[in-house]
Amino acid sequence: MITIDKLCYHSGLRYENAGEKFAFAVVTLMICVMSRSMAVAAVVLAVMGGLTVWKGKIPLIRYLRFLTVPLAFLVLSTAAIMFNISKTPLDLFAVSLGEWYLTAGSHSFFYALQLIFTALAAVSCLYFLSFTTPMPDILEVLRKLHCPKLLIEMMLLIYRFIFILLDTASAISTSQDCRLGNRNYRTALRSFGMLGSVLMIRAVNRSNRLYDAMETRCYDGTIRVLSESHPPKRKVVALIIGFELLLFAFALWRRFFS
Amino acid sequence: MSKRQKKIITAAVVLALMFGIVPNVSAMHIMEGYLPGGFCIAWGVLCIPFLAAGLFSIQKTIRRNRKLITLLAMSGAFIFVISSLKIPSVTGSCSHMTGTGLGAILFGPCAVSILGIIVLLFQAILLAHGGLTTLGANVFSMAIAGPFVSWGIYRLCSKAGVNKRVCVFLAAMIGDLFTYCVTAVQMALAHHADTTVAGALGKFLVVFAPTQLPLAVIEGIITVVIVMGLESYAKPELRAVGFIKEAK
Repeated sequence: MITIDKLCYHSGLRYENAGEKFAFAVVTLMICVMSRSMAVAAVVLAVMGGLTVWKGKIPLIRYLRFLTVPLAFLVLSTAAIMFNISKTPLDLFAVSLGEWYLTAGSHSFFYALQLIFTALAAVSCLYFLSFTTPMPDILEVLRKLHCPKLLIEMMLLIYRFIFILLDTASAISTSQDCRLGNRNYRTALRSFGMLGSVLMIRAVNRSNRLYDAMETRCYDGTIRVLSESHPPKRKVVALIIGFELLLFAFALWRRFFS
Repeated sequence: MSKRQKKIITAAVVLALMFGIVPNVSAMHIMEGYLPGGFCIAWGVLCIPFLAAGLFSIQKTIRRNRKLITLLAMSGAFIFVISSLKIPSVTGSCSHMTGTGLGAILFGPCAVSILGIIVLLFQAILLAHGGLTTLGANVFSMAIAGPFVSWGIYRLCSKAGVNKRVCVFLAAMIGDLFTYCVTAVQMALAHHADTTVAGALGKFLVVFAPTQLPLAVIEGIITVVIVMGLESYAKPELRAVGFIKEAK
């Protein structure tokens, strides 16, 4: 139902230690965002994309299609950065619209280009994490990082409930389709609203029943989950540290010496 | 369906047709990696007091009545699911609502700030909307600023004795618009290469307006329909949800 969630359970890197993957993705992400350099972004994009597709065995087409998810946002906001409407034409090009010019300067052009690369590379870091690490594993890492216990508990419950509610919602919308609920725009809006309110009612009932079930199984404020342990491998840790140091040095070099 | 409901829906259709095309947009999450490091940290730090307040209020609620934890979690999941479903748009392209306005009306702004950060984290990881580095900025615009405005407007209008449906519509719509403005400000502060901050702000507002304005109206309409449905069928459930809001 949620494609990323389904794919990450089949990933080739699923049984690596979650802490390793988390640290790898997050540290690379930070270096990439902080460096603001096109070369660093290209390296990150290649390494992360390569690892996810080749080691993680995510189909390439799927991966590329997911890279286009934030495309609408990227195109719109980059257009806003790149183009200017002003009375004086800038140095790169200018199209005259009566008294005004639709124009772009080379400074903002390269700025926007660099931004696109950085954003795509950052997205590839995020995808590395979400395509290889199932949510319960990420929560386990957050628990080790001393995230508030209540927050973790809520996340675990919400993660479970999302699938219940999605299931309910898809059943409701199927039956709405059967009864011509999406015949035209007017009925579609009404159907969606009804779906929302029925979903809420079902959710509240469901949560009451779930609490009763938890109570009968001696719930005392903590949900205990058996976590599978995949101890970190020394070789992988060394590789990750090596890569991060190299990347950091490269980013510093691009920033200050070139 | 009463006559009144029919009228509202007719008005809704007219409005929606006026706006015509809704392109493929989700609510305005700032994409991963789009903000420079300094801004990511600054927005994250700005969120901390709100999140701490939300966490303490939830802790207090749960200490008083432990049963509410499943209800709270279900509410979070509800916000996630509502915002991940495709809402009907005229052209058949897909768009999503934020759901936080609805959440603020139903559960109160403090609970929504915490539910919001969890939902946004899940959206980033499971749906690739938003991101980890921009989590702080997104939480500020979508889980704090928007819901607080929605809730404020809802309370204000209710006190002033405005028709409840109008209240809900205004709260959801203006909350959505406020989220969009805050996001534009965040973007403009971070990226103003050739112009001033104000100029960049204008550009971001203009560029996102065609997608965000109709979305805000549609979100308002849907929120009204949902709340109306709940009012007529789910009084006890609403009372249960009200517990979350009362305990602050």
